[in-house]
Amino acid sequence: MAKGFTLWFTGLSGSGKTTLAERVRDILLERGMKVEVLDGDVVRQNLSKGLGYSKEDRDTNIRRIGFVCNLLTRNDVVAIAAAISPYRAIRDENRALIGRFVEVYCECDLETLKSRDPKGLYEKALNGEIPNFTGVNDPYEPPEKPEVVVNTAKEDIETSVNRIIRTLEQMGYIPAGDARGYTEEEEESIKERLRDLGYI
Amino acid sequence: MRRLRGRQKRRVCVVGLDGVPHGLLARLTEAGVMPHTAAFVRGGGLRRMRAALPPISSVSWSSFMTGANPAEHGIFGFTDIDPRTYRVRFPLFTDLRCPTFWDRLGESGRRCAVLNQPATYPARPIPGALVSGFVALELSKAVWPRQHLAPLERMGYRIDVDTQRVREDPDGLLDDLLSTLETRRRAAAYLWDREEWDYYEVVVTGTDRLHHFLWQAVDDACDPRHQRAMAYYGAVDRLVAEVWDRFHQGRPPEAEGEGFVLLSDHGFAGVRREVRLNAWLREAGYLFYKTAEPQSVADIAPETRAFALDPGRIYINASGRFGAGCVAPEDAPALREELAARLRELAFEGEPAIEHVFTREEAFCGPLVDAAPDLVVIGRPGFDLKATTRGQQLFAATHFQGMHTWDDALVWTRLPIPEQPEIADLARPILEWLR
Repeated sequence: MAKGFTLWFTGLSGSGKTTLAERVRDILLERGMKVEVLDGDVVRQNLSKGLGYSKEDRDTNIRRIGFVCNLLTRNDVVAIAAAISPYRAIRDENRALIGRFVEVYCECDLETLKSRDPKGLYEKALNGEIPNFTGVNDPYEPPEKPEVVVNTAKEDIETSVNRIIRTLEQMGYIPAGDARGYTEEEEESIKERLRDLGYI
Repeated sequence: MRRLRGRQKRRVCVVGLDGVPHGLLARLTEAGVMPHTAAFVRGGGLRRMRAALPPISSVSWSSFMTGANPAEHGIFGFTDIDPRTYRVRFPLFTDLRCPTFWDRLGESGRRCAVLNQPATYPARPIPGALVSGFVALELSKAVWPRQHLAPLERMGYRIDVDTQRVREDPDGLLDDLLSTLETRRRAAAYLWDREEWDYYEVVVTGTDRLHHFLWQAVDDACDPRHQRAMAYYGAVDRLVAEVWDRFHQGRPPEAEGEGFVLLSDHGFAGVRREVRLNAWLREAGYLFYKTAEPQSVADIAPETRAFALDPGRIYINASGRFGAGCVAPEDAPALREELAARLRELAFEGEPAIEHVFTREEAFCGPLVDAAPDLVVIGRPGFDLKATTRGQQLFAATHFQGMHTWDDALVWTRLPIPEQPEIADLARPILEWLR
């Protein structure tokens, strides 16, 4: 049975993609899975070095990330992509290529993003100092049917991470929370308690 | 702005009384044993409610917290088996196959504080705080987030009463029930104050324990322990009153009761006999064991055509479904019909013992229906169904005084719920009220 899959985080800059990707990675590693994170910012410094922010370059960047995710997925690795990936068609192209694909939409309103903005990028973009800034003067197409939507403006990180993990469990991509179940000792204690109450 | 009434934020507050039948609550409120509960119940709105099937806490509370049928949430009992090996396993909270309404409230930024909800162990993150109830073993694994663990430990919080000593010391149970309820009351107040919540829930499980061991003391005014059992209900009433009063602080009188829910997860009745379904299946030639002293269904022999899991779940040992299944799929429907018909005839000293035999399709609906039992059997009040593999006596005397019933749980709420509700019907109005 194939064990790999791709978890694709999409959303505006500052919406929490990298933070959530890292938290999910840590949980999956703890559960003994092989995991690799492809972060959009990191990929642009090597695999996609030299690409700009035109639609064509953005599409190429996302296709490259999708290509690597596909290689990892078919070799039983969990590939986690965290990239703005603004265009729906290219994300769907990757979905079709990879098959075992779970899309997480990191929703966040512009006001919250502006208030988070540690490098002042939104402010600069809104002042016209940065061209092609997604969500301000470049388009972002939210997914139509993502497997998970997390609203990072309204919910805390734990809630979002929990929902992503629960979805992966429910889709059968990862075993349920504590797949080991109870220890033998715990099982004995539970049996005893159920017997005490006449339940078994 | 549906969420707001004037400047008031909409909230929901739930008090769960595990195993309290509708008829009993009506009686206790009328008799003055529960005066505070009587004050709001008197105005109307107390309804009889159906539990989930089978009517046990893990299944029924799972249906409550998800608004789903067991064939959707995947919890069919306190036990389950590995279909390959028949090894018995105990479902965890993470085995729940669909989101709780707490998770769904979290999607719109709402927070929940949940204390002592059965079938939530080990505690996992929810949007807010959770303290798991039965079958929780260790408090350290029953509390999320962990910041609440130390304060709960300091206040001596207890998950449950000590059920091991009850047979030797039934009076000790009554003391234990009161002291455990007191720690629950303190923990309830603590979570109320410490958590920023939109949804609050506290479940009292001592009522269920009292009924299992001392139902006669509750039901029979002549029983020597009746006054003490009523005193326990008086303490439960004070806890309900405390939560009610806090919930209504600063609210306009016309909002009284809005968003408040009182419910139980199943009813109770006195026990006359235990009905051991695996003993019946064996006697009737459907079940065989590999050993003389079978410890569980893992010891059934391959020629077994049907077996039972607690409390009244009957499984056809079908090939393709179970590792050593011997019933061909095409023969299963006829066998099921035969079993249902014979089970309906079960009688003790001329008195029918079975109230309902539900087929899988009648009882369950959802994507996990293939994992559901083939039949769910409900005993008549007085006949407590068991699936023990030990002991070959079909009708056995028992030291337990009470048994679960299916169709007389209770609910009191002003939220719009069906006239004849099932426990899974409550999730939707709660979600809609908070949206």
